[in-house]
Amino acid sequence: MTLLHRLASIVRWIARRDRAEHDLHEELQVFIDMAAADEVRGGATAAEARRRAAIALGGLEPAKERVRGGRHGAWLDAAGRDIRYGLRQLRLSPAFSAIAIATLALSIGGITAIFSAFDTILLRPLPYADSDRLVMVWDDMSKSEGDSRFFSTPAEWTEWRRLNTVITDLACSQSGTAILSGDGEPEEVRARRVTWNLWSVLGVQPALGRVFTEDEDDKGARVVVMSHGLWQRRFGGASDIVGRKISVNDEAYEVVGVMPRSFYFMPSRDIDMWMPASFPPGLRGNFTWHSAQIVARLKPGITLEHARQSMSALSLRVTAKDFRGPHAVTMIPLREEMAGKTGTALIILLWAAAALLLIGCVNLANLLLSRGEGRGREVAVRAALGAGRGRLIAQFLTESLVLAGLGAVAGLALAVPAMRFLERLVPEAMGAARLTLDWRVLAFATVATVTAALASGLAPAWRGARISSQDGLRDGGRGTAGARSHWFQHSLIAVETALAVALLTCGGLLLQTFQHLRNIDLGIRTERLLTFETPLLRYKDFDRRVAFVNAELEKVRAIPGVTNAGAISQIPLTITDNYRFYLRAGQPPNRFSEQIALTRVVSHGYFTAIGARLREGRFFETSDRRSESPAVVVNESFANRNYPGRSPLGKRLKFERLNETGYWYTIVGVVKEIRERGVAEDTRPAIYRVHEQADQANDSPSGIVVRTAVDPASIISAVRQAIWTVDGNQPLARIRTMEDIVDRQLSTPTQSTGLLGAFALLALSLASIGMYGVLSYAVIQRTNEIGVRMALGATSGEILLSFGRRGLGLTLCGLALGLGLSVIASRLLTALLYGFHPDYIATVAAVSVILTAVATLAWFVPARRASLVDPIIALRQE
Amino acid sequence: MTHVEKLDIPQGTLDLMILTILSREPMHGFGISQRLTVLSQDQFRANPGSMFPSLYRLEQDGKLKAEWRATENNRRAKYYRLTASGRRQLEHHRERWNRVSFAVTSVLEGA
Repeated sequence: MTLLHRLASIVRWIARRDRAEHDLHEELQVFIDMAAADEVRGGATAAEARRRAAIALGGLEPAKERVRGGRHGAWLDAAGRDIRYGLRQLRLSPAFSAIAIATLALSIGGITAIFSAFDTILLRPLPYADSDRLVMVWDDMSKSEGDSRFFSTPAEWTEWRRLNTVITDLACSQSGTAILSGDGEPEEVRARRVTWNLWSVLGVQPALGRVFTEDEDDKGARVVVMSHGLWQRRFGGASDIVGRKISVNDEAYEVVGVMPRSFYFMPSRDIDMWMPASFPPGLRGNFTWHSAQIVARLKPGITLEHARQSMSALSLRVTAKDFRGPHAVTMIPLREEMAGKTGTALIILLWAAAALLLIGCVNLANLLLSRGEGRGREVAVRAALGAGRGRLIAQFLTESLVLAGLGAVAGLALAVPAMRFLERLVPEAMGAARLTLDWRVLAFATVATVTAALASGLAPAWRGARISSQDGLRDGGRGTAGARSHWFQHSLIAVETALAVALLTCGGLLLQTFQHLRNIDLGIRTERLLTFETPLLRYKDFDRRVAFVNAELEKVRAIPGVTNAGAISQIPLTITDNYRFYLRAGQPPNRFSEQIALTRVVSHGYFTAIGARLREGRFFETSDRRSESPAVVVNESFANRNYPGRSPLGKRLKFERLNETGYWYTIVGVVKEIRERGVAEDTRPAIYRVHEQADQANDSPSGIVVRTAVDPASIISAVRQAIWTVDGNQPLARIRTMEDIVDRQLSTPTQSTGLLGAFALLALSLASIGMYGVLSYAVIQRTNEIGVRMALGATSGEILLSFGRRGLGLTLCGLALGLGLSVIASRLLTALLYGFHPDYIATVAAVSVILTAVATLAWFVPARRASLVDPIIALRQE
Repeated sequence: MTHVEKLDIPQGTLDLMILTILSREPMHGFGISQRLTVLSQDQFRANPGSMFPSLYRLEQDGKLKAEWRATENNRRAKYYRLTASGRRQLEHHRERWNRVSFAVTSVLEGA
């Protein structure tokens, strides 16, 4: 009841404020009148009587202030007035307000946008039960020229499942393709062959139906689980989809379940179908077939490090009998695996955004401090009218909050388009995310805003409130705050300069790395090169497959605007590793274990079509036909590793095969390095075979590259028609230009460099605005002093020097501090340098020169203004 | 002229005194401050500056009700009167005050 009453009364007070204020004023006036009348009766003159009455009340305005302050809800009312007052202050100095709001908008907007990406990619739980316990398990093949993240074998999976003590369960998945036909156009969809327990390991349920059983997996049942996307796209979301038979790779499969819309799993979000892995019995004991991606769920209470050690020990034991020798495992948390380099980039960007926000706050604090000194008189008046110290601090802080609030609103408006840009950072392994201003992001923005307001407002508020009690109205408003305040402001300048230096250095390092990545020789000509895939699963027969590939290439080459075309088993740069162990002629068989090479199967004319360059020997020719002594082309890495300083031409090698005799291949050519594994990935030894001779290879040349004289996009439909004249049921998938592929791979470095560069430039401009602002205020405040000094004989050169010394001192101080900070920051950056070693010294030198130049401009302008002060005018200002 | 130092009003008792004064009849601000001076035999430094916040707060809490009316000299002034809730509060506080002052006096005299 009382509470309600109070609330009602607060509302009344606020709603009818004018009336209430009027009432209060009148009541106090009546009091003074009555008290004065009383004094007059006591014999005082009318004027004296009124004076005494006002004193008795303690002053009209202070009395009002006390009544206002004593009321319930007074703070609300005060806040309202402070906000209005703050807004009025902003209108009074529009230039200051614009700079302050712009600064805050950029820094709050920046950090909010980065946070939204950070949150989506690194913080939000993945759509699996207890996803923190999920890890990827890879073979560590770093001892045999492979990766530390090498595919595992189904045999290892079987043994690990049986023997491990640290993992609840582990599931296996292999790449696969599925060609859907029957209902509509033939279409290739991305599929995975997975063990039945994948979903139980992930802790995910299908949205419709069920997942397949262990029994179905063992028996090789023809059942599939499909994605929500495929169900909607191809089957129109049919409610009777579960139980329906569909045609996959020309065979009838039964749909047993549909996953929820939110489900995705490694290696990419566009997987549409999961089929039973159904390992043939031979594969279960085969430690050479490295094709499985393994995900595991750690047992509760087991740390990653413990699991890694335990599993490595187990793996060394399990693979002891492997003819390649034992190997350990690499375990990587699922989130880290999915986020990849983007995760590191985001952490660095978040730091950079925080640094920018800090610079913005420091800058604003400095501007407010300078302005606060100029407002000493106003504050003193307010204090005299009854504003207490707490009240003054609250008012100053409210002003900063108003500024920060306006900055935040503008910042959020900037953040939304920035988030559209950042969406492209979401790695392919993660679900497609639309970054939005949801409550998490808004809460973060609010915290950032309040922090910014406090960080920028606290010192000025404290100082401002103190000035009032000291200087009061005595002084002519010359607002001097003494040496200590300058020391404080100067440190702020040094800090923001230092942060700007660190950001510039990091930006410089990333820029160099980015340029390096852009200039990497990919070994091919990327311009006007169309690529796509024609899955060849339906051509199981070798001769028919060769005939089809040659026929389709023939048709494509005949299209007007096409200059050449070729086929390869994996489009370059697309990181689908495919390794084989090999043996050179004359080596003992146990050397297999140490030698691993990427293998690719290509068509005649492939190398010419893609623009590869020959080091020696020849590329494949039409005379390279099916034979028991086939030819291979190797790359330079292969030649340099195996035949350093010699020509590999005519040398022979064979691939590891288990149950049949492999051919001996003769090296006929050496091709200059092609970046098969990706723009930023290391090159590896590689062996190319021609498809006519690849009857002992498992790969088929399903990737097609088309060199055009016209815009590649313009011939896509012609290419499709050409291929359909050969086989009307042949799907085409993943149609992209080579330039798209390169851009996509460089998107993380491109965007992180762009963003960090933008942050660095903003930081530089904010820091110089800060220095300019503080020195300008100093000049204005000290105009009198300068006038006196000049009147006493100081030359304008001396004045310039005295201000210049301060500016230069601050610059150098900030620079020194910043370079120290850069050392720490650049260490954080290492992962984003892609193994490249940028020129650190040159970067630091360039940053120092740029910073000094910009900062010099920032202090020179106010210092020069000081030196041009006319002493007569300056002293007359008194 | 002998100078007798005036007393500060003990914390929390201003409300009690205001309620007591108003329990006899409605009164305006100046009247209350005068009555306070008279009743306390001029011992208290009755600062009207601190009386008004109390009046407003009591009104806000529903202990007092205020209305503008004409004074005997035919001026407009804001008169405060006790509400039922204010009267209850007065009883309650007065009883407490009696107990406190009795207790304090007993201790002082017993020592």
